[in-house]
Amino acid sequence: MKKKIGIIACSGEKLIGGTLSRAAARIVVEKLRPNSTIVLCEPLFAAGGLERHGGQEERNFAKEHPTITIEGCEEECSKIAVERYSGPVAATIRVDEIVKAHPELNPKSLEDLGEEGMKLAEIIAEEIAKKVDELFVSE
Amino acid sequence: MSEQKVYIVPCSGIGKVFGSIGRETTYIVVNELERGKAKLECLPLIIKGKKEIIEQLKENKVIVIDGCPLKCSYNNVMEQVGKVDAQFMTTDIVKENREFKPESAIIPIGENTKVLSQKLAERVSKKVHELLENTEEVND
Repeated sequence: MKKKIGIIACSGEKLIGGTLSRAAARIVVEKLRPNSTIVLCEPLFAAGGLERHGGQEERNFAKEHPTITIEGCEEECSKIAVERYSGPVAATIRVDEIVKAHPELNPKSLEDLGEEGMKLAEIIAEEIAKKVDELFVSE
Repeated sequence: MSEQKVYIVPCSGIGKVFGSIGRETTYIVVNELERGKAKLECLPLIIKGKKEIIEQLKENKVIVIDGCPLKCSYNNVMEQVGKVDAQFMTTDIVKENREFKPESAIIPIGENTKVLSQKLAERVSKKVHELLENTEEVND
């Protein structure tokens, strides 16, 4: 049986990249690759001292399965968290790079991406789905 | 007028709708109800230990909003900043308003989720006022 791939999206709230990364992650796990991916909750995953509060499932899953992080900005919080607690990530998608490549699409706001923002999220989701497929081929 | 701000840190989880309520609540408070008084801060950067952000939180008031009992926001702010001035659980507002069962949709959120977020935002807004009033009293 093939393994599932964990998708960990930046949970940043202050930049449009965070909103786009969350929307793209949901599109992948709900629509594009529902049978081969699962979303891992980034705050729960990254939380320091979690061993004292319970909730090790995300970290354990990422130790045993390939993971793709989706980064909303150059800080790469998701990748750093995964590598700190579980090991190397299989792939990282930088949302800001995809946004730059599509200047014609302007998200409405942090709270509401609007039509163009959702289109951008779909493009990011397609990139993630491609990585998912590559990882399954390479296994 | 107080120069202190109230920073709001939602848990931001995307696995369930309870994280979405926290996120939406925060946006309502910082953009509408307490614009200029309350500010949003990004939990991953706090977890990462960004010094300038942690210093800001130490010098101001902090409200955390969590979406599940693991309380990522509370626990991480406590760990990195050493204090939390008020905490909210989105599950409380859901329990108190059974007639508005939140939809499972996370992006975009549903109508009931919006109603619950507005209700919680009003509660958080009151807390923002209380915290700032206390600060003013101390300064007087």
